[in-house]
Amino acid sequence: MTTSVDSWCYVFGIVPAGTALPTWSENDPAISRDSPAARLRLIEVGELAALVGTPPHRSIGRAADLLAHDRVLAEVVANGTPVLPMRFGAVMTDEAAVARELLEEHQAEFATALNSVRGRVQYTVKVRYEQDAVLRQVLAEHPEIDRLRDLGSAESAHTFQRQLQLGELVVRALEQLRPADAAAVLGEFGDEFEVRLRETSSPEDVLDAAFLVDADQVTGFERRVEGLGERHAGWLRIRLLGPSPAYDFVGEA
Amino acid sequence: MTSGVQQRRGGYIDRPSPSSLADVVEIILDKGLVIDAYVRVSIVGIEILTIDARIVIASVDTYLRFAEATNRLDLYEHGGKDLGEMTQSMSQGGAKGKTSGAIEGAKEKVSELFHGSDDGDDESGNGSSARQRPRSRQTAARRRSRREDDGE
Repeated sequence: MTTSVDSWCYVFGIVPAGTALPTWSENDPAISRDSPAARLRLIEVGELAALVGTPPHRSIGRAADLLAHDRVLAEVVANGTPVLPMRFGAVMTDEAAVARELLEEHQAEFATALNSVRGRVQYTVKVRYEQDAVLRQVLAEHPEIDRLRDLGSAESAHTFQRQLQLGELVVRALEQLRPADAAAVLGEFGDEFEVRLRETSSPEDVLDAAFLVDADQVTGFERRVEGLGERHAGWLRIRLLGPSPAYDFVGEA
Repeated sequence: MTSGVQQRRGGYIDRPSPSSLADVVEIILDKGLVIDAYVRVSIVGIEILTIDARIVIASVDTYLRFAEATNRLDLYEHGGKDLGEMTQSMSQGGAKGKTSGAIEGAKEKVSELFHGSDDGDDESGNGSSARQRPRSRQTAARRRSRREDDGE
């Protein structure tokens, strides 16, 4: 970071050389001028290219920056172009560094990796319990937890300690329920799709999984997720995100 | 945000389009290609966000949230049912597509946090992120106050 700020390149991802730049209307609110997507361009080396923009003169990490990162890469994928998405926030000192240290250094790996995602998109399936339904199940299975509940009026203040204990027991009980439900959901996808499990972030999360889906299987995949939602309605809530770049299927170079 | 994704709501799954800020944060943060340290690449100003996105699960906040949710069940459910009845009603209950109020935990916090540091940048946060603005949660405010993001 010793060179001039103006030469910095924000790297969105690696694409085949000659890829058409994503476009959007000039007043598209998703891409402000003050975003890494400014001055979007390709830096090409051989058959590879880095899709870069010019980062704003401030530290990045704002909502607009994240949305721009996602938007640019989503456009590329929507055009049917394979892309290796960089992790958010990759900034290199200048175009020469991108060409030499990124593209030339990793030419073979990038070419291989690009091939592995060619014609494929990522879907992310997030499954969580319907809160009331799962809490009722917990209480039904654990009378001792039920007894800890504050059944009185607001004035019958339970102690903080007791609330904490109640909450902790509920969370533990959810942890016990989760594996079976997660396995059941995953099982419905069989082994037709490459899958990466993500860490779940909340106690009522059942499963957070990224699937790599061939373009010609997209409709079938979506239908399968919908079927899953229908079968588990009232117990599980399913959120489907994508198609997106294969964020979970590119590793470290 | 993903154009080419048809808008679809209702049905049996949630299919948000465009992606909310919280979704985007979840999908892209910590994911994607990382290049080795020899390359002069910096991950600018986001480490701290990463930490907040991974709010420790076994926290006091979480326990209290679930205690509250569990207590709240009474208000419209509890009637001294025995176990059998309870299990039965369970399989029917909850099917009304209730958006669990306590649900978005960590992601809301991240989202609020962005809004907190995002003033002066409103033109880019329209629509999707505005819709995402969560039910406020006092913990979010607390966390946000820890964050001093970049200046202009």
